[in-house]
Amino acid sequence: MNSVLRVEGLNAGYGSTTVLRDITIEVPAGEVVCLMGLNGAGKTTLLKALMGVLPKKGAVTFAGDDITGWKGHRIYDSGMAWVPQEDSVFSGLTVGEHLAIALGGEGLDRGISAAAKLFPVLGDRLDQPAQTLSGGERKMLGIAQAMVIEPKLILMDEPTEGVAPVVVQELIPAIRLLTEGSAVMLVEQNIDTALALGTHAYVLERGSIVESGPVTELHDNGTLAARLAL
Amino acid sequence: MTLAAFLPTDSFNVIVLIAVFVLIALGLHFTFGMLNIVNLAHGEFILIGAYAAFQLQEWTGNVILGMVLAPVVAGLIGVVMERGILRFLYERPLDSLLATFGLSVIIRQLVQLRYSANPRTVDDPIGGSFELAGFNVPWWRLMIVIATVALVVAVLAVLNRTEFGLHARATVRNPGLAETMGIKVDVMRAALFAIGCALAGLAGALLAPINTLNPQFGLLFLVNSFLVVILGGQGSFRGLVAAGVLLGGSLAILQFNISTVFAQIVVLVIAIVGVRLRPILSEQITTRGDRRRSVEASV
Repeated sequence: MNSVLRVEGLNAGYGSTTVLRDITIEVPAGEVVCLMGLNGAGKTTLLKALMGVLPKKGAVTFAGDDITGWKGHRIYDSGMAWVPQEDSVFSGLTVGEHLAIALGGEGLDRGISAAAKLFPVLGDRLDQPAQTLSGGERKMLGIAQAMVIEPKLILMDEPTEGVAPVVVQELIPAIRLLTEGSAVMLVEQNIDTALALGTHAYVLERGSIVESGPVTELHDNGTLAARLAL
Repeated sequence: MTLAAFLPTDSFNVIVLIAVFVLIALGLHFTFGMLNIVNLAHGEFILIGAYAAFQLQEWTGNVILGMVLAPVVAGLIGVVMERGILRFLYERPLDSLLATFGLSVIIRQLVQLRYSANPRTVDDPIGGSFELAGFNVPWWRLMIVIATVALVVAVLAVLNRTEFGLHARATVRNPGLAETMGIKVDVMRAALFAIGCALAGLAGALLAPINTLNPQFGLLFLVNSFLVVILGGQGSFRGLVAAGVLLGGSLAILQFNISTVFAQIVVLVIAIVGVRLRPILSEQITTRGDRRRSVEASV
């Protein structure tokens, strides 16, 4: 299997508190791997550790490189993008400036056109400060920022959480479009979204992987419902 | 009849003092306003700039060379300080306050060891004055005003019109997100701190010819620099310029017409009242802006 991301025996946490223990996961190229679990299971912590925001131990190989000790900017430059769940915009910076940062000064016009095609509302608000966007529009901006750099892997943290159903209907096709060019690690609690987008799933509990397998299989045998306490 | 007939005789000096207030606060905008380091060593970077100009004048006899190299010296010392100490303290504001206080004392004592407490002077690079609209305008004071305006324009342009400025604003607003969007946050922070120190050093060099230098020189400017940045709103460059004009203008007018002590008291009162009222005013401005934007978005 051609994996874009391989994580082996990862431990990470905040300061002296270890949150994640012995995490081993794999994301095949071009697939959507769901990371599922209840609140506090360590899903967001795992994404932060992978993206270099938190220090980690273990072995993380991305696109053939050992990125375990890399800083966030180097990981981003190597082709991994992150769509955070919260705290996802720079206060005072406009939508256009967010896209400019994502693109690093290259192909801004092309990037803005692509973002506006994906989410027309963003095209209308390029000069608007990003902190004045609605929650759904911020999610769109986060996804657009990731999309315009055409990354090898996108870490996406609950993109549909707390968003109006009408906006979710807009987000899901956009995420599906992203998967055509990039692998995605999708943190998700919603089983329907995981089924709609994911191919493989890992279930996290108290910082450890407790289940893994094809999403449909985990759904059909009741594992997801049981583990997510539905 | 000249313009001077209608204006107070100290009008030009009021402009100079306004420029000085903005000039001394420019560097603090980067270190405190943007990086959130309560940089109690800011005055000492002004001191470093002034003494660098003095030392280069002693070595080369060229005052202008001192003016050019003073910000370089201050900027380099700033980088060493940021990389060596302050980069570990961004999440610990009280510790960084203590660190910068300690460093300010060390720098002051080192200057005193090297140059003693005896007063020193830096030559006026241009010298002389000229008549403008009935006012006597000393050339170097005019240069300070021009340099301040040029620096304000340059800083605004760099922060708002360049990729570096965009990355700098992103870094200070959300360093974690900036790092994961390809910005080298460590490098950016070091650069911003160095720019702040270099601007403070340049201010020191520019002000040296119109002052007598001693190791306490930087302390003269520390409080007023903080007042300008705090009143203007931490991180707001336009606010800094407005606060510099308000505080510098008030101090100058009252100082020239009443007394220095009274002027300083009034400046402090203006700063306190201004800080109290600023959130209300900025909320009104923001609300008005949001309302305008939502109307525009709905059209």
